[in-house]
Amino acid sequence: MPDFDFLFRKYHRRLLLYSLKYVESESDALDIVQNIFVAVWENGKYKQSENLVKAYLFSSVKNSCLNYLKHQKIVRQFEHESGLYIREIEAIHYQSGEKSLIENESLKQINDAIDSLTEIYKEVILLSRFEGLKNQEIAVKLNLPLRTVETRIFRALSTLKEKISQKSFFILLYLKGLQKK
Amino acid sequence: MTGMKEKDYIESLIARYLNGICLPEEQQELKLWIEESPENRNEYLSIKDIWDSSRSQADRAEGQLVIFYKNQLEKTKKARILWVRYSSAVAAIFAIGLVISLLIPQEKSSRHQNMQVFSVPLGSRSKVLLADGTLVNLNSGSELKYSSDFSDNNRVVSLSGEAFFQVKSDSLYPFVVKTANFDVKVSGTKFNVCTYDENSYSSTTLAEGKIELKIEGSNQNFVIKPGEKFELDRKTRKYSLESADIESEIAWKDGEFIFRNIPFPELVKRLERWYDVKLNYSDKGLQSYAYTGRFKNQETIWQVLDALRLTSPIDYRKMTFREFTLIYKPLN
Repeated sequence: MPDFDFLFRKYHRRLLLYSLKYVESESDALDIVQNIFVAVWENGKYKQSENLVKAYLFSSVKNSCLNYLKHQKIVRQFEHESGLYIREIEAIHYQSGEKSLIENESLKQINDAIDSLTEIYKEVILLSRFEGLKNQEIAVKLNLPLRTVETRIFRALSTLKEKISQKSFFILLYLKGLQKK
Repeated sequence: MTGMKEKDYIESLIARYLNGICLPEEQQELKLWIEESPENRNEYLSIKDIWDSSRSQADRAEGQLVIFYKNQLEKTKKARILWVRYSSAVAAIFAIGLVISLLIPQEKSSRHQNMQVFSVPLGSRSKVLLADGTLVNLNSGSELKYSSDFSDNNRVVSLSGEAFFQVKSDSLYPFVVKTANFDVKVSGTKFNVCTYDENSYSSTTLAEGKIELKIEGSNQNFVIKPGEKFELDRKTRKYSLESADIESEIAWKDGEFIFRNIPFPELVKRLERWYDVKLNYSDKGLQSYAYTGRFKNQETIWQVLDALRLTSPIDYRKMTFREFTLIYKPLN
């Protein structure tokens, strides 16, 4: 039986990363994650097997983020309309049972994939994602046109995607579907 | 708008959007592009997911844990009722393969000399209830032996292959499982032992209770706690004792096949045993892959191979009745 502190330490960072998918403000994201742990503490769910708790934690963070988005939609009725819409597509995608890498992969695996990128890709990812520079700042720093930095970031992400998806496969057996053929 | 949708442009548009520096009209463009086709949508979503998972986020768990306990303490002190909003989030578990097939026990129970032998052929599983009330689930290709005077006060069995034991509790007369590599001594517990000759590792995983383990030909004794897995490299004799995922370790006894990040060669071995087939492959490229999945054992080997083909760069060809060749076809 997993104990509460263990779960908190193991999943806090991943849940926070997950909520930052939708929630720009870090303090809001921290609140969301705290509330989820409060719920798990109070309803005793943390006493269940780790797999169940993990599924519960992630589906709670998904629901909280969706609610957050709904709320944002009301608050910022006219601003950033398409941006919110894009986030909503994303939220619906994950609500339908799809799993994010944050949920599936260990973060170490992702970091290993970053380490194995070629130098020019690794450089932009580190500057953008780890040092938090804006694209424009990276362009100045590396003395490159902005567009080049942007396509490079995209391609670095796309290479990471391949690296990770080639390493592990999720075998899904849709028995019903296969039988129909 | 359509003229602008060349690849480079979309790539930098996505990079700008992720960076939070898109103008409203650019966001609108991206939204239209995403809506244009499911391929676009999936491409955007997978890139966004990579973006979200590859970032530095200082691990603040410790500090947050302190805050958590402080808040909980205050709550009880002031007897405040905190309104906690959480959704009734019961994870939908996809039941893949809905019916559990009941396997007809095919064990050959034979008596030779004074040993009782239960052997389970490849491709099936079996259950044995021993005289002392201990229940043993035997996995494919396993053999359980015990002396014909096995009784309440002589509880010794030997195993090759894999078995899950639910040992009847008796602290006076311990239950002993002997294997080629180690002996396991218990009083009353639930545990799994996996010791196939063709595997490079032998292991035991404890679900409940306590077990003592002694490595063959050495004086080393280990006490294993619930949730732990002891694993021994048969060649080098190196061992590890780590916390394990009990559910996936013992899922086989309920006819389920759960595996998390297992290397390809291991997956092939397991499928061969479960389905009593031969799977040949020669391409080294396959070795480095890891697989995660879950299914019920009543699927046919064809269905499993079809699933492999759909989800990974593997194709297969049938050679003979129970023999297949796996072909590596990397994605380009």
